[in-house]
Amino acid sequence: MSIIAAGIMIGLAALGAAIGNSNLFAKYIEGIARQPEARGTLFGQTMILFGLIEALPIIGVAFGILVLLGVFK
Amino acid sequence: MEITPKLELFGLTFDVTVIIGSLLAAIIVFVITIMATRRLAMKPGKLQAGLEMLVDLARGMARMGHDHKNAERYIAFTFTLFLFILVANQIGVISLVTSDHHTEVPALQVTQETMKESNAHGVVWLKSPTADMNVTFSMAFAIAIVGAIIGISRNGLGKFLKVRYATPMGLLHLVEAISNPVTHAMRLWANIFAGEVLISILLQGITSGLAGLPLSIALMAWMGFSLFVGVMQAYIFTVLANVYMGQKIYLDHH
Repeated sequence: MSIIAAGIMIGLAALGAAIGNSNLFAKYIEGIARQPEARGTLFGQTMILFGLIEALPIIGVAFGILVLLGVFK
Repeated sequence: MEITPKLELFGLTFDVTVIIGSLLAAIIVFVITIMATRRLAMKPGKLQAGLEMLVDLARGMARMGHDHKNAERYIAFTFTLFLFILVANQIGVISLVTSDHHTEVPALQVTQETMKESNAHGVVWLKSPTADMNVTFSMAFAIAIVGAIIGISRNGLGKFLKVRYATPMGLLHLVEAISNPVTHAMRLWANIFAGEVLISILLQGITSGLAGLPLSIALMAWMGFSLFVGVMQAYIFTVLANVYMGQKIYLDHH
């Protein structure tokens, strides 16, 4: 049971992260295409936002691992 | 999964890996900064130039939460926090020390029963202190409380409560008072914890001889990613600490 639960948690977390990151990086590349000279500043901003987006799914993954290890019994 | 040695003192349980890890991180940061600033010169050497770059980075981070004049007071805090978390995050990636040795150490709660209870294969002695929830939560709540104290002493209790909580946005700020430090702490903890667990799972797979070569390549890739994540999460934690403090201190802008 806990294996299924962890699988669902980690899978949905990965799905959410994929949607969020794809939106972010699509806009990033669009921004570079429009204004190639803004690449440096855009890269920094994008990486910060990437860290912020990546945080929530990784919290899901961490709790999935904890469920898998049987911490919440 | 491995268990950690624990120490009972004054009715409280201390995690030995957290004590060792945070002490080590503090010592590394201390030694590096002392070495870099021992012989200050107008024409800086390599180490001093590197440290000056880090201070500039800290100034930029402080300016994200405070205005330019006030930011100067928070550079030391930002610099210390960033460097400590940066080193602490990398400890677990670079040197994860675990032992399969099963000699019982009852003083540190390493016995056959505790191993069996948590289904453990070994004992971990050195890991990132930030991979422990207690460390990140205490840091985040300390930052939230200090921010509130500075805000109250700067504006007075009446104005602080009136501007932040007696407005239509007050309810949101009330929820934020708990949810901000919680997400602040979880963001750092979950990233480092997930990274470390995956490293130890891959290591177990390699040593058990299932599929050595592909797992070794996966381990290398994941460790590289973990180094990157450690730097980025240290940066984000420090920036958010400044932003959350700034929200509570400068009430006229909000």
